[in-house]
Amino acid sequence: MKRFLLDRRMYAEYAVAAALFAVNILLALFMPYLTEHKRIYDSGAYIAALVIAFLIYTAGVHATRRKSASDIAVVLFAFFLAWEIAYKTGAVRNDLLIPSPEGLFHVFAEKPEEIWQDVLGSLQLLFWGFFLAILFGTLLGLLAGWIPRVREVLLPISNVITLIPPLMFSAYLIMVFATFREAAVAVIFFAVFWPTFQGTVTRVALMDRAVIEAAKTMGVGTAGMLARVIFPYCLPGIIKSISRSLRGAFMCLTGAEMLGINLGIGYFIEKYKSFADYRCVLAGIVTVGVITTVIDILVNRAEKALIRWEQ
Amino acid sequence: MAAGDRTKISIRDVSFDYADKKTSFEALKHIRLDIRDGEFLCILGSSGCGKSTLLSLLSGLNRPKEGEILVDGKAVRGPGPDRAVVFQQYSLFPWLTAKGNVMFAIRQSGRKYTRKERAKKAEEYLRSVGLLAARDKYPGQLSGGMKQRVAVARALALESDVLLLDEPFAAIDPKLRLELQELVSTLCASRKKTVVFVTHDIDEAILLADRIIVMEPGRIRTEAEVALPHPRKRDELIGTAAYEELHRKLIAGFYAQVQENIDAEAAL
Repeated sequence: MKRFLLDRRMYAEYAVAAALFAVNILLALFMPYLTEHKRIYDSGAYIAALVIAFLIYTAGVHATRRKSASDIAVVLFAFFLAWEIAYKTGAVRNDLLIPSPEGLFHVFAEKPEEIWQDVLGSLQLLFWGFFLAILFGTLLGLLAGWIPRVREVLLPISNVITLIPPLMFSAYLIMVFATFREAAVAVIFFAVFWPTFQGTVTRVALMDRAVIEAAKTMGVGTAGMLARVIFPYCLPGIIKSISRSLRGAFMCLTGAEMLGINLGIGYFIEKYKSFADYRCVLAGIVTVGVITTVIDILVNRAEKALIRWEQ
Repeated sequence: MAAGDRTKISIRDVSFDYADKKTSFEALKHIRLDIRDGEFLCILGSSGCGKSTLLSLLSGLNRPKEGEILVDGKAVRGPGPDRAVVFQQYSLFPWLTAKGNVMFAIRQSGRKYTRKERAKKAEEYLRSVGLLAARDKYPGQLSGGMKQRVAVARALALESDVLLLDEPFAAIDPKLRLELQELVSTLCASRKKTVVFVTHDIDEAILLADRIIVMEPGRIRTEAEVALPHPRKRDELIGTAAYEELHRKLIAGFYAQVQENIDAEAAL
């Protein structure tokens, strides 16, 4: 039980964050709108978001015991506090571009089905493009890293291709593929494939020679070397690079969706941008942030579960 | 002596050079050496004399430029599980536990064992090097001495006739080193292995070897049979007449060459 408790100074910081959180809730519930606004939204979704944020922070600070968790929470709640006050007092009056925090989070209550479908659509594109790219990039990278002849062909080619930003050839890919979805998968695939390939080649090249020589002296052949020595040795590095590539992939994904697919969170943002509904645009952006964070956390969990050794 | 008369390893007129585009360095010049079945041979020499190079040729990681090496009458064409190697630098697989590392070697030995049998045998090997308690630890969690014990267990687990050790205990502190030397001596004798042990430590060579080869850069300078009974204890050896005589002979071979180097440099 003792390990769930924080020391006294951390509780002082926790109290500051909690107090700010409480003030946020009170303002959302009871502070009147002091000027005219076009629309006033129900504060339920906003309060739910605040409560969720506070619960995550509480769990986080107890699990990690990092001071920075409290600092982040204080900054976050102070930001919402300032936003709420600025909006309700009328200091910020551009309803079109800057919604109230209530209005922003109310989007999630208004169209949960639509957002959910778009998130699923994005994740499907991401799955096919991203995971195929990781799979083939890693396999080919291991092969090229180990067999010099393969490497000497593929590495110069990849050096040229990776210099071209993937979104630049996306316009062409859209013409080549039958559907926008396939094109989007292809854009993500190419955005992730080459960096993964290069990273894997480098990791194989930087392997500890003693490990390779030990394997050789035990009579390990090429297939065994790739599957039972090089792959497990490089696995932690590969997983670490996944979370990095994921950010790039998500940028490409939302970018690709904006090119014309009718499903996905990028499409959601693009659609409401053309309706000049910036409240929904912001909600879409928040959604992207939440999804990437969740995937990031899952990848880190997977790394901890899979890799129990350290160099 | 434990060593039989049959020749196990035959090094025939072997030369090797390290070459890059511009320069080439002749590391070994026409080495000839026969190693008997079951013999414990120490190759003694200062750094740069080519003793580790010779071992890398025996292991098959390098190929001779000229000449050939025969094991059981067959030419060495590359590394293989018939010659187990313990390296100076730590070479355990960091992603496997101590037991996993030994099991890997058992699988490579080419003998048909079920997974269960491999696990059981691995534990036996770890027990023989006194590390059964650390079987589930990863190499990153082991000290240098423990890592080399696992490396010895892994080499034994290949169940090869030949065991090659390249200054395996050079990086271990002296007290532990003595323990490891006695361990290797006992384990190899009881398993009738043919051992080639590379070292720059005269005492280590005398403690372990049936025969000691002293190398100077590129060639064999001298050799000495060690007719002391096994098992040897360092404490009991030091001060005996046989030990002192052997030590003097080796030191002469060892340092004559160092002196020649100094003279050569002084002459420049």
